[in-house]
Amino acid sequence: MKLVIPGDLLSDDIKRAGEGTYVASGEVYASVYGILDKKELRVIPLSGKYMPHTGDNVIGKVIDISFSNWIIDINSPYEALLHISEHPDRIYPFDMSQYLDIGDLFIAKVKDVDATMRVELTVEAFNPLRSGRIIQISHTRIPRVIGRGGSMINLLKKELDCNIFVGQNGRIWVNGKEDDTDLAIQTLLKIEQDSHTLGLTDLVRDMIKTAKRERKGK
Amino acid sequence: MSDKPNKLIENGKRLDGRNLDELRPIKMEVGVLKRADGSCYMELGGNKAIAAVYGPREVHPRHLQEATQVIIRYRYDMASFSVKERKRPGPDRRSIEISKVSREALAPVILKEYFPRSVIDIFVEILQADAGTRTVGINASSVALADAGIPMRGIVSSCAVGKVDGEIVLDLTGQEDNYGDADMPIAMTQDGKITLLQMDGNLTKEEFARAIELAKKGCKQIYEVQRSALISKYEGVSNV
Amino acid sequence: MSEDIIAEIKRDYIYNLAKKGKRVDGRAFDEYRSIEVETRLINNAEGSAKVKIGNTQVVVGVKIQPGKPFPDTPGQGAIITNAEFAPIASPSFEPGPPDENATELARVVDRGVRESGAIDLAKLCITEGENIWMVFIDVYVLDHDGNLVDASALGAIAALLTTKLPNVRYGLGTEDVPLPISDLPVAITAADIDGEILLDPSLDEELIASTLITIITGKDGSLAGIQKSGMGPLTFDQIFHITDLAYKRAKDIREKYLEIVDDQIGEEGKKD
Repeated sequence: MKLVIPGDLLSDDIKRAGEGTYVASGEVYASVYGILDKKELRVIPLSGKYMPHTGDNVIGKVIDISFSNWIIDINSPYEALLHISEHPDRIYPFDMSQYLDIGDLFIAKVKDVDATMRVELTVEAFNPLRSGRIIQISHTRIPRVIGRGGSMINLLKKELDCNIFVGQNGRIWVNGKEDDTDLAIQTLLKIEQDSHTLGLTDLVRDMIKTAKRERKGK
Repeated sequence: MSDKPNKLIENGKRLDGRNLDELRPIKMEVGVLKRADGSCYMELGGNKAIAAVYGPREVHPRHLQEATQVIIRYRYDMASFSVKERKRPGPDRRSIEISKVSREALAPVILKEYFPRSVIDIFVEILQADAGTRTVGINASSVALADAGIPMRGIVSSCAVGKVDGEIVLDLTGQEDNYGDADMPIAMTQDGKITLLQMDGNLTKEEFARAIELAKKGCKQIYEVQRSALISKYEGVSNV
Repeated sequence: MSEDIIAEIKRDYIYNLAKKGKRVDGRAFDEYRSIEVETRLINNAEGSAKVKIGNTQVVVGVKIQPGKPFPDTPGQGAIITNAEFAPIASPSFEPGPPDENATELARVVDRGVRESGAIDLAKLCITEGENIWMVFIDVYVLDHDGNLVDASALGAIAALLTTKLPNVRYGLGTEDVPLPISDLPVAITAADIDGEILLDPSLDEELIASTLITIITGKDGSLAGIQKSGMGPLTFDQIFHITDLAYKRAKDIREKYLEIVDDQIGEEGKKD
């Protein structure tokens, strides 16, 4: 792994310039501070705000309701809109709060992002997350929560017997028995904190085992 | 700092023992604040400053938004105890001017079109002042921007050059600034484009050219410090 | 706005833990985060200290200058305390003059120093009715992760302990002497979260607490200042409980972080 900073010369193969890079006078340079992925010729940032992309799964929070849109915070510099017509039934603007009210958290998908960063969402179901708990971590740590090929998230689900939904925007929903949920959240915060540690999966496995043993001992 | 010494340069050495083309000792640390999106602490000689970056974030009031790019705000502030005579807290004409030119020194490298309708706030707090505070602010801010994950064409580096006892020198002390003949803060991109240039005093054209050359050299050294500060934040990290 | 959203998202988690006697960072209810005190870091100030409590960071600088006394105290020095919520410290701090929170912070810090009698103001008279020492205590918040009051109050007294009167600079003597300090006030802040009392609240805890209360005690354990800050009511039992806790914690902090600084002054004094 190699750390790069903005302005570092990466390559002269401009056709391969990926995310986190820019091209100037026939060469590819890093535009962000992060880890160089040589294969893809892109830079994976270590920090920064969540920028929505079409197709991302996120957890949104209703912050306002306008005449035909729910206005949603998605943990980004940009608010997102969920249009009334996303609802499968014909509903009336003054009834909108019955389906999703201000303060409600729910799972959504980014439907479209335009050039001026106007963000539209869509949902599978108009279900506010009423059970379970939600935490928020840095979105740059989400790949670690998921792990290679889903290794980390599968470990968590299996060992902790919880439903876990991971939003690309750094919000994670955990639903399970009280004790399991506590442990799951503790573990997720640990992953965020130690996301750069080698052998993180093993560390997490041990942590869960120890916690479970302690719990039985009580 | 009260009385003018007879000589500021003796046998090619300055009063603090430095060579003419030598920077004062530098210390730089990245990510020193938890709440900020990016931050950097810098010492240059007796200067101590912290830069913090917040954003991109929503613009308030909204009418300041720009539809196609992010706006940049820069606030340079000196703590009341940063100078010998207590300074009244808050902005004054000097800090307003420095904020403006510093913003203009950094804005050209930021890839502004990535974040339409939003703002990046850069805040600099000078905790201890010892001549050259604006260059320290710019250097620390540039690193804090990178730390915040802001996409940029490169890093901006800054230093002051000037004329003291008839010689062109790098990185003036307060005394050299007060009793010297010229002071010229400069900031430049790593590919050598000048983004900040101010001068007060007297320089011949030939001296000016030499001063620019010296500033290039100074900025190059500053750049190396900025770079290693960023790299060392994740040093020892094997599995990012 | 997004700060409120984070707090709301974390609220359930913090409540749930508090009900079980736990905190997010694993501390006991009466336990402080790690504290660091660094003194004499600002050469241009007559006294200075940087205090970290967990991620919270403040720098306090003390400037001493001669000035005119207040008409009602012609023979006494003056204390002027100011707090700046520097916008570097939090996404919710905006540039501008101190708002009500910064003003409250400055006044609580001032109260602790003043009412405990930490500074012997009579000794700061240069010429009665004409010239006195003015003690400017300036608090700069650098990183706001909760409990600014305790960090600022600790920073203020630590900075004062390192302060010297600049006699030489103002032609009032041949040497600079330590500022006369006669007490070491320590502020202890508690948060009420659903009836549970937690000391040294983190920012997340502060944001969901119904109220905060700060108790400032002096060396002999007497109260030098109290400030309840927040909408939620407290019961008498809670207040007495907090006062007891505050006295004990203040004693620990004073011994561990202030009496050390005090000794340093002593040693330096000897050297001089």
